[in-house]
Amino acid sequence: MRLEKCWFCSSTIYPGHGIQFVRNDAKIFRFCRSKCHKNFKMKRNPRKVKWTKAYRRLRGKDMTQDSTFEFERKRNRPERYDRNVTEETLKAIKKIDKIRVAREARHHSMRMKGKKAMERQAAAKELEQDIHLVKAPLALQEDPSLTLPKIKVKVSHPQAENQMEE
Amino acid sequence: MAACVASKWSMAVSRSLLGNLSSNNLGSLGKPQDLTSLGYNGLFFQQLRTFIQMRTKLKVVDNSGAKWVRCIQALKGRKGARLGDTIIASVQEAQPRGKVKKGEVVYGVVVRAAMPRGRCDGSEVKFDDNAVVLVNKQGEPIGTRVFGPVPHELRKKKHLKILTLAEHIA
Repeated sequence: MRLEKCWFCSSTIYPGHGIQFVRNDAKIFRFCRSKCHKNFKMKRNPRKVKWTKAYRRLRGKDMTQDSTFEFERKRNRPERYDRNVTEETLKAIKKIDKIRVAREARHHSMRMKGKKAMERQAAAKELEQDIHLVKAPLALQEDPSLTLPKIKVKVSHPQAENQMEE
Repeated sequence: MAACVASKWSMAVSRSLLGNLSSNNLGSLGKPQDLTSLGYNGLFFQQLRTFIQMRTKLKVVDNSGAKWVRCIQALKGRKGARLGDTIIASVQEAQPRGKVKKGEVVYGVVVRAAMPRGRCDGSEVKFDDNAVVLVNKQGEPIGTRVFGPVPHELRKKKHLKILTLAEHIA
């Protein structure tokens, strides 16, 4: 039994799932489900289809190089069965998975690092420039609490001028 | 059977239509999913592959001299032959100096079938085309070379000679 990778989305194909397509040049394409198979038949390039691992790795959204990937490389020499080795391998698989998940989470957080600051900046700019999309300008003038706090400028003889206008 | 053949032909026609259409539409529309908005249903994307039956054209992938054959009878199988089965075929086109001549009735073993065949681990295999290797009555191949990939299923059917001649076992 061997766990293969889907040619289109790079997910693992467990036994009993999927379709294998053998092209006449003897290249074997394995698909995990009909979604990937149909996309292949439509001649879509997985590197351009957003939900595939190929796209994500190409655009740097997922980790590309890590030492945890070395453990999963394909080995063509069959190993002699040794009970201890099998036991250790099973334990190691669990540990390696945990480490890999932790590293991927860290990669994700590094990628999203400046997000909060950028969002705040964008929001402040929008409030300053595009407030007319939210509230009509006349409403803003009537009720000054809706606008940003304006800077107060001292004007000379304020009482006399106000009495004259009213 | 006539209905089967007719449906297969219409499927082939519709697929070629789709091929032409998509080559045009992708230029103008730029999105493959717009084809469905034109009224074509998803049936076009699922080309139903069926058995190898009477009048099925098969490519010959050995050096016995024949180019392609037409199936006359599928031995074993009420609906038709599948991957790994033997068929009786009539040679339609042959190379001038070969071991078989045009019009001869020969036996053949199906080594590639477009119809998916279930494997014992639950997965399915399918190939790009329908291909056959000519054999004699005893099951031994007439030619001395086999081109292209062949499936594992031949081992169970005891066509070991073909497997040894094959250049790639899928």
